Amino acid sequence: MNYAVLSVPDFALHALRRSDPSLCGRAVALVAGEGRRARVTEASPEAKGVAPGLVSTLAMSRCPGIILRQREPGAEVEAHRLLVAAAFTLAPRVESTGSGCCTVDLRGSDPARTEALMRLRAAELAGAGLPLRIGAGATPLIASYAARCAEPVLIVADPGDFLAPLPLAFAGPTPEQEAVLRGWGIATLGGLTALPKAEVGRRMGSEGALLWERAAGEAARVLRLVEPAKSFAAEWDYEPPVESVEPLFFKLRRFAERVALELRGAGFVAEKLSLTLLLEDETDHRREFRLPEPGADVEGWLRILNGHLAAVRTEARVAGVRLVAAPARPPERQEGLFDTGLRDPASFWENLARVAAIVGDDRVGTPVPADTHRPDAFALQRPAESVEPAAVAPVHPPYGPTLRRFRPPWPVRVVCEAGSPARLEGGRLEGRVREARGPWRGSGDWWKPEAWALETWHVEMSAGGIYQLASTGDVWRVEGMLD
Amino acid sequence: MPGPSQTVSALRSLLAARFPEKTRRPCGSVPAAVRPIDDALGGGLPAGRLTELVSWAPSSGGQTVLAGLLAATQAARQRIALVDGSDGFAPGSVPEDLLRHLVWVRCRAPEEAFAAADILVRDGNYSVVVLDLRGCAERVLRRTPASTWYRLQRAAEGGSVAVLVQTQSLLVPAVPWRLILDTPLSLADAGAPREAVAERLIVRAERSHAPATEELAG
Repeated sequence: MNYAVLSVPDFALHALRRSDPSLCGRAVALVAGEGRRARVTEASPEAKGVAPGLVSTLAMSRCPGIILRQREPGAEVEAHRLLVAAAFTLAPRVESTGSGCCTVDLRGSDPARTEALMRLRAAELAGAGLPLRIGAGATPLIASYAARCAEPVLIVADPGDFLAPLPLAFAGPTPEQEAVLRGWGIATLGGLTALPKAEVGRRMGSEGALLWERAAGEAARVLRLVEPAKSFAAEWDYEPPVESVEPLFFKLRRFAERVALELRGAGFVAEKLSLTLLLEDETDHRREFRLPEPGADVEGWLRILNGHLAAVRTEARVAGVRLVAAPARPPERQEGLFDTGLRDPASFWENLARVAAIVGDDRVGTPVPADTHRPDAFALQRPAESVEPAAVAPVHPPYGPTLRRFRPPWPVRVVCEAGSPARLEGGRLEGRVREARGPWRGSGDWWKPEAWALETWHVEMSAGGIYQLASTGDVWRVEGMLD
Repeated sequence: MPGPSQTVSALRSLLAARFPEKTRRPCGSVPAAVRPIDDALGGGLPAGRLTELVSWAPSSGGQTVLAGLLAATQAARQRIALVDGSDGFAPGSVPEDLLRHLVWVRCRAPEEAFAAADILVRDGNYSVVVLDLRGCAERVLRRTPASTWYRLQRAAEGGSVAVLVQTQSLLVPAVPWRLILDTPLSLADAGAPREAVAERLIVRAERSHAPATEELAG
């Protein structure tokens, strides 16, 4: 699984319901338009007999007591931020694909751990009022199809088997294309991809070929990545202002759920909370709480906040509330007196695995020179858990500029005068040699098939730059630059 | 009526109050153990910021700066990551003791280097991340969208890691600190102790948020 799509069906409705406690468990529908022409766009499961597209008057007659509401942009923004925060806890490369939908680049993540995290996030967000669906697959498109079928998590291992029975509507055909394909007796994605792509393109044009690609889940695209949250704050204005603490408790729980998830996604915890009540008379009530132990425990925060609010008396009604968390790095591990270990071991090893997935397992680690004089012989080892103090000063401290190698070395033709390099020709490095030092002769492993022997020179070019040359017989190479 | 300087000052205060994260000064620095570099930066690589080190001339000391950073971070028992865009690091040219705290990422292409750096800068376990793009194809580097750099800058701002980007030409847009090495070392330097070589590096601060440092000769 390379990508995951996090999606919330009927997002606008759920965002509204999670922002208003009076709507919980009630028949609710969102409508678009004014007056008698307003039509239902989304309806809750409690609204029996009401479906999107129904005229509002008909909805009221079919489901007496139904609450009809317009969309609430503020609630949708808050809910979408919660969704994005959940996505960042899976992997750092996240796209905010649309309202109520995020796409995550999972390449390099540990599959078992990621699946467990997905299930945990789906359960957490369901508890926070957002019934999250997560699909994962080889491409963003397959992941989005999987999210539409997920209950609540679906990982597509075999795209062919998964896509074949899906209805054609998943690929988004135009009405004309749908009519043509229906005439051919094709109703599923598998039915379409069973046809040769070139033949479909020839009969239905380039749009038909694109439809075929979408049906095969092949349509690739570059994710438009978003940044994780930098400030961990939430704010809400009450209209009308409130007089009791229950609406504050409700809203602070929603804030805490989102801010805690944002902190976790960015690798932080909160060390301090700041609560501000904006009062109707344009004054405010502020209080800072230093947490006993830095963390992102929502229930712990709420115990502190609710305990304070229960005892607060204000001169005016509360017109708004703001919660700000001060981030700090998590004290994941108790360090020893002389130990400088990893601050966050889980993140360290997980990120190394991600990097290894990009460059290859054998191309990341701590270099350890091999026990030989053979040039450029080393091994990459797993990094140490802690940084040990340096041993005593080396007997032979390093001399001269540091070598930067050219891998592979550059072949070059060397013209020698009086036994030392005088001019370089025919390669990436050409010109007169101002000064040369050497040779340093080395050889080893003469008892093995991989025996080696070479001469090394340091040359300073007239145009500037000091280079290391190596020769084996008549073959010369530029091994690197002394920099 | 307030004068222009008072108005500007008031405006700055207002912006600082409204956007604290944009006006936050870097907290702390990581000494590079290379005096000309530390002098140019006022103490070391700024934490939470990108610094571009341009090796304009060949053998101008870019790799010696890296060796100095390895020594400085080892002495402070901190962890360092080297994202090596052209796989040019030579472990044999540095004392073995200075490698034990290093995580070396050997990339084959700049795209790999950017993706790896993006992950490591956010990690929180490193005090320095070096993104070495010297030796990478200039044509490919020029195609790097500015958003990639801004994303890296934003990632660095969120934490306490100092990010050093080593390049061969001016590459990073809107970088707060840019240092240029444009004087080649000579073969006479090859016989000097490395610490003395580092002292001799000539660093030019081309553009900086730090107090003016026009040219500092080691």
